[in-house]
Amino acid sequence: MEIKPILAALRQHKAGTILIAMQIALTLAIVCNALFIIQQRVAHLSEPTGIDEPNIFVIQNEWVGKVTSAEADAKLRTDLDVLRRVPGVQDATTSNSYPLRGGGWDDGVRLSAEQIEDTSDATIYFADERFLDTLGLKLAAGRNFRADEIQPMSTRDRLAPPVIMVTRALADKLFPNGSALGKTVYLVGGPATIVGVVDLLQAQSVARWASNFAYRSVIVPRRMAIAEGAFYIVRTQPGQLEPAMRAARKALFADNPRRVWDEREGILSFAEVRSAAYESDRGMAVLMGIISLVLLAITAAGIVGLTSFWVGQRRRQIGVRRALGATRGDILGYFMTENLLISVGGAVAGALLAIAMNLWLVTRFEMHRLSLLYVLAGVLLLLLLGQGAVLAPAIRASKVSPVEATRSV
Amino acid sequence: MLKMTHLSKVYRTEVVETYALRDFNIDVKEGEFVAVTGPSGSGKTTFLTIAGLLETFTGGEYHLDGVEVSNLNDNARSKIRNEKIGFIFQAFNLIPDLNVFDNVEVPLRYRGMKAPERKQRIMDALERVGLASRAKHYPAELSGGQQQRVAIARALAGSPRLLLADEPTGNLDTQMARGVMELLEEIHREGATIVMVTHDPELATRAQRNVHVIDGQVVDLAEDPRFHQHQSRAGAPA
Repeated sequence: MEIKPILAALRQHKAGTILIAMQIALTLAIVCNALFIIQQRVAHLSEPTGIDEPNIFVIQNEWVGKVTSAEADAKLRTDLDVLRRVPGVQDATTSNSYPLRGGGWDDGVRLSAEQIEDTSDATIYFADERFLDTLGLKLAAGRNFRADEIQPMSTRDRLAPPVIMVTRALADKLFPNGSALGKTVYLVGGPATIVGVVDLLQAQSVARWASNFAYRSVIVPRRMAIAEGAFYIVRTQPGQLEPAMRAARKALFADNPRRVWDEREGILSFAEVRSAAYESDRGMAVLMGIISLVLLAITAAGIVGLTSFWVGQRRRQIGVRRALGATRGDILGYFMTENLLISVGGAVAGALLAIAMNLWLVTRFEMHRLSLLYVLAGVLLLLLLGQGAVLAPAIRASKVSPVEATRSV
Repeated sequence: MLKMTHLSKVYRTEVVETYALRDFNIDVKEGEFVAVTGPSGSGKTTFLTIAGLLETFTGGEYHLDGVEVSNLNDNARSKIRNEKIGFIFQAFNLIPDLNVFDNVEVPLRYRGMKAPERKQRIMDALERVGLASRAKHYPAELSGGQQQRVAIARALAGSPRLLLADEPTGNLDTQMARGVMELLEEIHREGATIVMVTHDPELATRAQRNVHVIDGQVVDLAEDPRFHQHQSRAGAPA
């Protein structure tokens, strides 16, 4: 292939060449980082909660009027009994929060009473003896809570359970060299002994600030006994989610209508919880996708425009080349190679720019380091885009007749 | 070398058929220097484009170097143009983005020739036209005469069997034109077959043989009344 004369010709058209190469470079830099952000967001979207999502719904219940802690606890237990009797319901439990909720109680966990810095942050989940079964969690080691260990907790009580369960991620963090079972850790209220290790349970927040303890949770044997109510987590038989949700609402209000449910968030399937939790991630991924597509389209249009202009400008020159023996394939190859050379130049600059842009994002927005695979994929994408964009004008050029060489200027 | 028999070229539109060449017959032997003359619109340029396989013809036969070319596909025609024909155009048709060396190299690259051979041929061709020292110059840095010499070098570099020249001095002043014609005569003396299209009768006299074209046909100047009519209209002695 005639690379040297093509380069020589491009040197005579510096402005157009540099502009297109710069456009390719900038597009590559932005698209690489955008694709990387999309991938991270999509991966984030797909992170497992560890619970039986398809068959779970949650209720946020609040009592009307002045209710004591003891009354609240009694009402809560009645509600759980009502829920467990609803047709299609497998089990029901209560907690202060649930995975992907977006907020709740996070606290530090220490290995000794004197320790100032926490060993880890963790999400605090209240649980009764049916919490694991209701959520579909797997106990990796140790035991579940016994019914007699579950205590009601009001806003005035300290969090000082004698026993707790932790997730495997937290156990590994706290005791990387051995089993966590039977070990004592220190919560905000005092010491607690680990009696069980749960395989996988995601934290209640998927926000960036909670990412360093995303799967580190402490499960405490406590029930929320406050007038502001609590969350009920209900697991249904497979395929019974929607009818069970409708029946649960009816049953609870029939049993005690003096309660308040938020119109939008009073009762949610877990699919709705997941959708709401990742709304911003999805939005960001879509936005980045649109930006990438627009940039790629603009770059492709730029290549088509410039090549079409060059083909028009060089009609006679193409005719001369054909007269001197160039086949249609030679002319097609000329323009494809010309574009490839410009694209490679732009891609090299773009790869460096993509890495520089990512380093800036890493320091400025705590993003992850861009994988070089993304740069390579971006380079390949831009080269293919360039070749695709140049194809139509190049085919037009290859159809220029050799007789064009004899036309008067 | 070049033989056209009853060749015709018709341009058709929905309403009219125009014969650019009609029952056109010509036979150029190897080593001949033939001038094809005729008034504007007579069909001499159409003859040249067909002779050079730049466009196809409608009817008749055309043998080039013993090969009947009417049924050749585009790639085969390109190959023949590249290997057997050297073109010299009125407007030089050098590629402005390439320097002299690269311009002469163009047809050799399409032939797939290796770089050392290409370089040897280019420098030989440039030596022959007296422009070896200008190899790195761009066309815009050369005079019209020098540009045409580069075009001749480009045509010669591939050692073609046939040189086709279309008004090779048409864009040159008298002195430069003389130089180019002397070069063509020299090339002919060395054995090249040259067909030159020109409307200039004086240039035509420098060729070995003149072929006159009127209304798309080769005519005998002495017998054809159209020639005499044309000469009368032009105010020239019959």
